[in-house]
Amino acid sequence: MDIKSPFSSPASGRSIPVTTSPAGATLIDIDHVDFYYGASQALHDISLKIEEKKVTAFIGPSGCGKSTLLRCLNRMNDLIDGTRVAKGQIKIRGIDIYDPSVDVIELRKRVGMVFQKSNPFPKSIYENITYGLRLQGRSNKSDLDAVVEKSLRGAALWDEVKDRLHTSGLGLSGGQQQRLCIARAIAVEPEVILMDEPCSALDPIATVKVEELIQELRTKFTIVIVTHNMQQAARCSDKTAFFYMGKLIEFADTRAIFMNPANAQTEAYVSGRFG
Amino acid sequence: METPRPTSHSDFLVNKKRIRVLGLSLDDAIKIFFGGNAVLSVIVLALITYFLFQEGFGFFGQNHRNLLTYRQAGLEYVDFIRTQESGHIALTRYLSDLRLRQYNEYVATQKMLPSAANDALAKFDEFAVQYGDAVESIRGMVSDLTEQATAIKTKFLIAEDKKIERQQLLAAGKIEAAAAVKIETVDFAAELHVLKGILPLYKETNADFAKKLDAALMAAPKFTTPELSARFDRFKELTRDYLATFPSTTSSLETWDYTRPVPWYQAISAFLFGREWLTASFWQDWYGIVPLLMGSIMVSLVALVIAVPLGVGAAIYINQIASAREQRIVKPSIEFISAFPSVVLGFFGIAVLGQSLRWLSQQAWLAWVPGFPFSERLNILTAGCLLALIAVPTIFTLAEDALQNVPKAFKEASFALGATRLQTIIKIVVPASLSGIISAVLLGLGRVIGETMVVLLCAGNRIAIPDFTAGLAVVTQPVHTMTGIIAQEMGEVVRGSIHYRALFVVGIVLFFLSLGINFIAQKIVRKYRISIG
Repeated sequence: MDIKSPFSSPASGRSIPVTTSPAGATLIDIDHVDFYYGASQALHDISLKIEEKKVTAFIGPSGCGKSTLLRCLNRMNDLIDGTRVAKGQIKIRGIDIYDPSVDVIELRKRVGMVFQKSNPFPKSIYENITYGLRLQGRSNKSDLDAVVEKSLRGAALWDEVKDRLHTSGLGLSGGQQQRLCIARAIAVEPEVILMDEPCSALDPIATVKVEELIQELRTKFTIVIVTHNMQQAARCSDKTAFFYMGKLIEFADTRAIFMNPANAQTEAYVSGRFG
Repeated sequence: METPRPTSHSDFLVNKKRIRVLGLSLDDAIKIFFGGNAVLSVIVLALITYFLFQEGFGFFGQNHRNLLTYRQAGLEYVDFIRTQESGHIALTRYLSDLRLRQYNEYVATQKMLPSAANDALAKFDEFAVQYGDAVESIRGMVSDLTEQATAIKTKFLIAEDKKIERQQLLAAGKIEAAAAVKIETVDFAAELHVLKGILPLYKETNADFAKKLDAALMAAPKFTTPELSARFDRFKELTRDYLATFPSTTSSLETWDYTRPVPWYQAISAFLFGREWLTASFWQDWYGIVPLLMGSIMVSLVALVIAVPLGVGAAIYINQIASAREQRIVKPSIEFISAFPSVVLGFFGIAVLGQSLRWLSQQAWLAWVPGFPFSERLNILTAGCLLALIAVPTIFTLAEDALQNVPKAFKEASFALGATRLQTIIKIVVPASLSGIISAVLLGLGRVIGETMVVLLCAGNRIAIPDFTAGLAVVTQPVHTMTGIIAQEMGEVVRGSIHYRALFVVGIVLFFLSLGINFIAQKIVRKYRISIG
């Protein structure tokens, strides 16, 4: 797979060096980050290293800042007026993604996202998946066909929709729609996939399918998943970060967090005493 | 110890404080109040519709009689020859245009003095006089016949009036007075005998006329430039075509029969496809809606061409790009436009816009614009610009709503895939709200087509079908519109007359037009709701 250097847009000279580092090397380095919505501080001095080709879960009660941090990683928070990273840096392969010279469009191509509520475009399944590629100017038919099949297979959806690729994506069931969104995200071959509570709107069976999918995707992508569901974090992630009131309380291997938490608050949360 | 409660156990469910209005519970009273309002508005609507149709439908019977009289009184007969005469007038107009061009050529290019130029045109003038005078005998004949036919028509109409008078007297029980009303029955056969008797003389005169035209063409003058010669050749060709129509005119006259019935559908088709709206004429009234319909459509079209980019563009900017501060300023400002009474806009159109547009059209550096310069200050363009102003708030508000209804999740998904703001707007937001935008445009059109005051004041009010051969310059012509004609003429017509009813039918057409537009808009909106899911 020929990975184009993610930050090599014509305008910006800086690019993240692409290295085939082994699983476990640091990909995203979150370094003492403070984040504000207007005047209210949402994140307090967060430091965290996300490792390559691992699944990292963010857990914590509602309003603890886990989704905010996730949306900082591809700068989706830029879309909300009055938000800012007041202190600290977020580096992907050593490049500060909030540096003015970084092309945010390129960043989002490399850091894909799947949302809480499935949001396929009101277009056909085929067009949903090729949307990101067309944005990059790719329009070769056989090329696109190949990507559509590969992405849908990657999202374990191919067999279910291969006969109706040109019908509306909104005609699928909730679980299928969410997998379509995952297929759409992996079609542009990002390095990182951010998942913001991807199963919260799904029934248990669809949830199992998406969780199985995450297990398959971890071999190719670095995944960061925000979840409310502690069993889910325990089942699918390698590392878990527990947030509370905008602060990172504990970050460790998932097994350690659930079996042997170092912090009393973490222990109270994972054992279901609050949250 | 528990003390027994004073109320018995069984009536704790009964509400003692229930308010009653006119013997009804409050709930029922409220229900009847609001339901009554709804029923009342439906009844009023139904009454308006009924009134419109009741007044309008009588028109077709009256129009049928109108057309029948046209034939029976021999007006149709005279019009055959009149058409021939007006054909000749058009040709002489072409000829005088040609003279002007040649004169300009002499003076401007060959630097002749005006007197010398006129001298050089002496041979042409001689030809033109000869050509023009050839029609005189026909013209005299037409004016004689016009008088005769008018006399027959007047006599017939008087007789009709008398009949009505007698009926009214009879109805009032005044039998003697009724008997005293003298009704002169019109014997069309005898009256028209004189009219038809002219035929041999016409044939003779016409042959003479044709001969004179031929002779005039033989002695045709020469022109100094190939362009003018070509124009004159075209003129000769037109004359020959004109001469070729003579036999058919003659045969129309020969076969014409006043007893031939007028089919009933002609009363409708003469209205729907009639190219003339001519009222209170000494000769014959025509009620054809085409010029008015064309006027309304042209004005609305110009308005939409201006208002759609402005309204939709502004909606996209405000909804997708503008900061909250800009939104707070721009949105109310655009919506504020609709606070102007349309008569004020019309006044502005006459005093400022029409004047400025004309001034602009007369600037030399804008001469390349089609239709520039123009002399009519009130025309399709002026009215269209103002109507666009009226349509913009409607289109803007509804299109903005449609854009607002696009789920934010679509935008987020698009951004997360690395789309720029422009790509997201073009590929996701606008397509997702397209049906909403289309219905916004349609409702804007509905708003514009029913607008009266502005077009009455600013469209120029000339009842004529726009000349589409002018290309884009057609927008600089004055027109009259359906709404304008109703507002202008309704005040001065006799209640129950054919003219009065014709205006009602115009109103019905307008009603159906608006209804159709709104219906389509509704359909599209409904479909759009489903597609978003």
